[in-house]
Amino acid sequence: MIDLLETCLLRVDAEYIEMRGHTRRVFSVVVKDGRVERIAKGLNRGACARALVDGSWGFSSTTVIDKKNLLDILTDARILACSSKPLKKRHVRMAPAEPHVDEYETCMKEDPRNGDLESLVGEVLDADAEAHEYSEKVVSTTLNLSVVDDEIFFVNSEGARIKQRIVRCFGTARIIAKSKGNIASAYESIGRQGGLEIFKDTPLREAALKAASRAVRIAPKQVVPGGYYDVVLENKIVGLLAHEAIGHTAEADLVCVGSFLSNKMGKKVASEMVTLVDDGSMPYGFGTMKYDDEGVPTQRTVIIDRGVVKGFMHSRETASQFGVAPTGNARAWSFEYDPIIRMRNTYIEPRDWTVDELIEDIKDGYVLRGSGGGQADFNGEFMFTVQEAIRIKNGDLKETYRGATMSGNAFEVLSNVRGVGRDFEMHIGICGKEQPNYVGIGGPSVKTKLLVGGR
Amino acid sequence: MIEIAESAVRSSKKLGVDEAEGFVQRQRVIEIVLERGEIQSERMKIRRGIGIRVIKDKRMGFAFASMLDQQTIQETCRDASKLASASPRNPDWVSLPLPEKIPPSPEGLYDENLASLTLDEALNMVLEGYETAKETDSRVSIDEGKLMVSSTEIAISNSHGISLYGKGTFISFYLICVAKEQGEASSFAYEYDVSRTLKDFSARRVGELAARKALLSLGARRIKSFRGDVILSPEVASEILFAPLISNVNADNVQRGRSLWADKIGEPVSARSLTVIDDGLLPYGLGSSPFDAEGVPSQKTVVIENGILKSFLYDSYTANKVNKKSTGNAARESYSSPPSISISNLLISPGTKSLEEMISEVNKGIFVNRFSGNVSNESGEFSGVAKQAVYIEGGEMKFPLRETMISGNAFESLNRIVAIGRDRRATMMSVYTPPILVEEVTIVSQ
Repeated sequence: MIDLLETCLLRVDAEYIEMRGHTRRVFSVVVKDGRVERIAKGLNRGACARALVDGSWGFSSTTVIDKKNLLDILTDARILACSSKPLKKRHVRMAPAEPHVDEYETCMKEDPRNGDLESLVGEVLDADAEAHEYSEKVVSTTLNLSVVDDEIFFVNSEGARIKQRIVRCFGTARIIAKSKGNIASAYESIGRQGGLEIFKDTPLREAALKAASRAVRIAPKQVVPGGYYDVVLENKIVGLLAHEAIGHTAEADLVCVGSFLSNKMGKKVASEMVTLVDDGSMPYGFGTMKYDDEGVPTQRTVIIDRGVVKGFMHSRETASQFGVAPTGNARAWSFEYDPIIRMRNTYIEPRDWTVDELIEDIKDGYVLRGSGGGQADFNGEFMFTVQEAIRIKNGDLKETYRGATMSGNAFEVLSNVRGVGRDFEMHIGICGKEQPNYVGIGGPSVKTKLLVGGR
Repeated sequence: MIEIAESAVRSSKKLGVDEAEGFVQRQRVIEIVLERGEIQSERMKIRRGIGIRVIKDKRMGFAFASMLDQQTIQETCRDASKLASASPRNPDWVSLPLPEKIPPSPEGLYDENLASLTLDEALNMVLEGYETAKETDSRVSIDEGKLMVSSTEIAISNSHGISLYGKGTFISFYLICVAKEQGEASSFAYEYDVSRTLKDFSARRVGELAARKALLSLGARRIKSFRGDVILSPEVASEILFAPLISNVNADNVQRGRSLWADKIGEPVSARSLTVIDDGLLPYGLGSSPFDAEGVPSQKTVVIENGILKSFLYDSYTANKVNKKSTGNAARESYSSPPSISISNLLISPGTKSLEEMISEVNKGIFVNRFSGNVSNESGEFSGVAKQAVYIEGGEMKFPLRETMISGNAFESLNRIVAIGRDRRATMMSVYTPPILVEEVTIVSQ
């Protein structure tokens, strides 16, 4: 396909043109309560063209890949760029980027193309059965296992020609338990970039059991009494905070429209214990690619260095606006979308505290565990749901509560950090910013202060 | 198109499966995305694909592809059949639906003007909405927005003789505006319009309403926490009351112990003023179609009548399992997913009061336009930030609120409905509801 893309590209004339060809093979199994709810295999293939004419973008895509259709989308993209030009105030310029000719493939021990995908159904069913056997209080389970195999071709009018194959294997478990008339749900996930070995290294059953034990534990509990407390956030929650509440404010397109970090470059916004990174080149990262969808090599981008704002995430367009080099953050979900600034693997770097050390000097507070998602504004205000809150009294763990929320301003929370753990973990995430994308989120456990909400 | 669906069924049958179903979709989509206050991207997408579901000895397999050539279809049929063999036997499986008489298509589901809308015309609509917002008041700026126009054709065929074709159009547009005055920014104000036809749609209206909402939240203040009356806008009512309701009447959730209403048919589940109907045949309805995603005729199903739970919503699988008839509530996101249960159009019967009258009856409470937070569909618990909220005292709107949270339980709140407004609005979720006044909601401020 890449040759066909290149041939077509060369026949059209514009200031800048790029084409992507994308084939996505998906295998997924969903098991609910011992029943296979869905077992599916799918193939999506298509191509897109993006043209820059006189500072204006145009974009067009198709699922029919032949010379005629590819030339059509190239023409459409150019026409769209021209016709939308008068409606745009912004004049797009692109920062220079070296045109790479390269190939990349996910490092895998067991390539799913040679693997027996059908046998994975049994693994999901076994994991489901174990979750149900864990306790009669487990009333409902939903387990998912997915293999996503992406082949992406990129060519542009500057001479770039890149082939990438990125394989991701992952799974999720949502377990619902009922006790004393209460219903509680808990969620766990596994996965990263890589082959089928992932399901052996981190079996889905372990995630399912972990979620089952939490759901059963919290179901009969009271909802946490709210208040402003010292807390230890479990590493999963720290990842969500790093991505959702902090990371988005460092995306250059949001910086431009006045996100919290827009006037903070070089300023201190967090405790010096906090270093926050978005890394596109992390080995096995769920959001890792060698090149982004503009053909720019990905890299380790430091956003906050020991409390001080060091960098933002850029596409070629915003890099030109800011007068910096692009960071390889332009990503597209599929051939049906143009690349926009997205995070890759976002995390807070670990330090050397153990979780016990984080807890020991807290007089009155909580350990918050299990992330249930949430929202954040680009001014740093956030509200997340956590699954479990465990009371800390004079350094000891006491009673467990269920279903708390945590909220506040993320930068206030980072400024309040008084300890950063060594228990670093990365997790999978699917982030939505007009279009979805796979991202890695992570960090260690962290000690800070924030508003814990109950009912 | 129908021939493609039928050929997939034939190919699958040749592979020795018991039952087969082909779902073909062809779509043309225009998307215009506004960001940083101006057009960020405009996209034209031509999309097509097929989803094939096969059943072999009560084992199900599903495969899909974005190409419709004979070879791909054959391979997809083989994949589906292989997956069926790998799948465990489901003793509850009875059958794919049998052909039934399909009602005539409701009016207003397909609009030629939308199907043939050009990109230029779409761009101009966005611009109209955008300009209107800015002209409404100079303090207003646009944060983001999106216009989507789609024209979709589908064909469904199964081995029992169902063979149906349908088409539909949609247009939706939203804007998020913010107003700034002397260094103070309002909260983000959201406004939208969604329609099956062009003539009922106005981008201008979206622009004007979004701008006015943003202005209304300038000068926001805090209040002391209290428990009181809350008027939920149609959007918020859909999110925090009706999303858990929908989840609880989904027959799949009922059968799997995920619904608190599993054994409540014939019993009161809400205030008596509440009547809820799922109507798949509503003219111009966002979720209307003469048949559902499995080819079962659409219908009108009374879900709650005067507070009494009347029926759950079924697809053919969950209906067969308990020896009932499907209510025609199978839906698919696209060709790449097998059917699952969803509402068509959920109609909340309107009351008699205008919004002003509802406000005048509130002694101490708040009016919530938008909600950002978490809602647990299983337990009904909700908790989050009340946005574009206004404080009401002595029957009058006093001032906009900031940093105010509401929390409660949807199932308790359904029983604490004090009034249902008279002016119903379609939300993006296909819930048609008036504003709703609920008492005893926890309102928290710092």
